[in-house]
Amino acid sequence: MTLTFPYRFAIVMYGEDGTNLGTVPAKRDWQWAEEWTRFYFQRRGQLALNGNGCASTLIPLWEHTLGEPYCRGYRVQIAQPEGRPVASDFPNTHFRDVAAAVASRYVEQKKLREGEFYSYMVVAHPAPPEAPKAGGLSVTNASPSVPARDASLATFLARAKPSGVIDIDDMPVFVSQQVLEEAAERTRAEEGTETGGVLIGTLWRDQAAAEIFAEITAQIPAEHTSGSNVKLTFTPQTWAAADAALQLRKRGEVFLGYWHSHPVREWCKGKTCTPEAQKTCRLAKDFFSADDEAVMRAAFPRAYSIAIVANDTAFTDLTFSMFGNREGITQPRGFYVLEEKTHGA
Amino acid sequence: MGNPETLLEIPLEISDVSGQKVFSVANAPTGNTVGELVHEMLGKMNLPRNDASGAPLTYQARLEREGRHLNASERIGDALERGDKLTLQPNIDAGMSY
Repeated sequence: MTLTFPYRFAIVMYGEDGTNLGTVPAKRDWQWAEEWTRFYFQRRGQLALNGNGCASTLIPLWEHTLGEPYCRGYRVQIAQPEGRPVASDFPNTHFRDVAAAVASRYVEQKKLREGEFYSYMVVAHPAPPEAPKAGGLSVTNASPSVPARDASLATFLARAKPSGVIDIDDMPVFVSQQVLEEAAERTRAEEGTETGGVLIGTLWRDQAAAEIFAEITAQIPAEHTSGSNVKLTFTPQTWAAADAALQLRKRGEVFLGYWHSHPVREWCKGKTCTPEAQKTCRLAKDFFSADDEAVMRAAFPRAYSIAIVANDTAFTDLTFSMFGNREGITQPRGFYVLEEKTHGA
Repeated sequence: MGNPETLLEIPLEISDVSGQKVFSVANAPTGNTVGELVHEMLGKMNLPRNDASGAPLTYQARLEREGRHLNASERIGDALERGDKLTLQPNIDAGMSY
């Protein structure tokens, strides 16, 4: 995929009293939004599964009242060799993290007081023409098609129970009960220390339903890692071992993401949290840190990839949270637990 | 196939951990190091260079043909052959720092 930027985005920061504090280039990772857009239309059969090389462009959506250069959001548009381009629109809230980082710097620079309310607007200006670069690597995108095989979504739904909140915009994900049991067992065995594994499985396509869905068939325990109560390090050897295990299975499975544990009971011990506080703590469930997301971006960037977190708390049985790319943002999401083995048909 | 010692550039195939991002490089300079190749390919492949805190990420290139991770200092012309497949594998943390 080649994402081009005919415009450069920036954040205009305002203090509590509306004072313009300055304009800062909005540097963020646009890939998540681009991946979401591409896969969204591939799921619906409106973009070819081998369309991973189609050129995409990021353009501003102008604010209705103020007009250019003020933005109300941005659009990712993907060209198709034959057919109309497809596009998704994204709101200015996607720049919230950028604005928060700028606000932190402004507090250090005394442009903002600690705790002071701030607001921001997004602007965009045409990018300066780039001079053609001499030399460098000549690279072409040779990414494979989305590896989806044909199957009936209804067949899977009939043998699965929902877990969490199912959003119709999410690609359905089915996880075998055995995968969850293995993850739970490993989490308990490593009590107090983060552990994890790589998720593998199959992507299925139900053309009649205009949907692609995932079946997580196995988890490969992450080896050659180092873990503590707040960190799990995946090394190059971890990925190599997982790949070797995947190849040995010879079942045509692909990497679909990873799982790791959050030893929340251990975190709570360190902070001497009361049971009541633990039950409402945001870390106890559906918490996915910036580090956790960084693993997704570095190892599992496709929009069909997911992450599972095993939440080991002191006040309830072990629970599982799933996270995935929804509308260009990593968000908690629901999934289905397969009660028995289901493959295809 | 020409004498590897006289080839100035060789074609390679580079993928990410998932295997779903694959890029063909037509002209990897044999005089460059693996580290230089990795550095440039991270940008081409849109792979993150830094972790959540801004610290640089380390990627190792795994050579499929030999089943080993290459050292960043190895010369492309010494370690690689035409058409070799590499996987860029990061050293990366899940979790959070207090």
